[in-house]
Amino acid sequence: MSSPAKFRNRVKISERHGAGEWTIEKLLLAALMPLGLWVASSAVTLAGADYGAVAAWFGNGLNAALAVLAAVAFCGFGALAWKVIVEDYIHRPGNKALLLVVVNILFFALAAASVFFIVRLALGSAPLPAGV
Amino acid sequence: MTHPNPTSGDARDDQTGRFVTQPNGHVRPLSPHISVWRWHITMAASILFRVTIGAMTVAALIALAWLAAAAAGPDAYAGALAFAGSPLGLFIGFGLTVVLFSFILNGARHLINDTGAALTIKPANLLSAIAVWGPIPLAVLFWIALFATGRVSL
Repeated sequence: MSSPAKFRNRVKISERHGAGEWTIEKLLLAALMPLGLWVASSAVTLAGADYGAVAAWFGNGLNAALAVLAAVAFCGFGALAWKVIVEDYIHRPGNKALLLVVVNILFFALAAASVFFIVRLALGSAPLPAGV
Repeated sequence: MTHPNPTSGDARDDQTGRFVTQPNGHVRPLSPHISVWRWHITMAASILFRVTIGAMTVAALIALAWLAAAAAGPDAYAGALAFAGSPLGLFIGFGLTVVLFSFILNGARHLINDTGAALTIKPANLLSAIAVWGPIPLAVLFWIALFATGRVSL
């Protein structure tokens, strides 16, 4: 923080990790463009499909892998995008820090639960709750 | 002429931007230039992208519920499918496609503008108009295709 400001092309570069977070957010958004089109085409495939067709669809490793990628990329992007929104509108340090913790927990849980269900479907695991 | 700092809590604790600290350290009310504005399509696109990110978060929760139903076996999935085919389910489904296409078109606009391209008035207006209005015809075409191919029916 106390080091003198550094400049590149006469533009001040971020003192800590802000620029890195911005780059990651943009790379995730760029990855979500083709993944979003794939989600739309998958929605056409799966619209109105019965359980057997959905199970078979997830049984294809490519579909399961792309679904995991889409879920993780979206949750990473969502956490960073919500961080920007929270930082724009919430200025009391305590509230801001608390909201950012909530945002990170929510998107981490969303990603973890999505991957858990997708992996179970891809492996053809017994229906949840298993072992009952 | 002296301009004492206001001691009232309102100005000191201001979170609204109605008061600003002048270079001399005095706290003064902000001049009302901020209320002088009109709508631009670029502004609408920017605001809608934030709204879309919020809506996509809700959409992700709905997708998670669908995954959970599938992982919970044939009975639970049949229940989810019956709800998705109901009038309310189809309405939510239409909304989900509008949100998805809005995310793709508006995200593409943002990525293009982030590279420094299309920031002059005409291309910025064009990209914004596509991002704002494009999702609706795309979603309508999407659902026409679903009904026409018999994947969905009322």
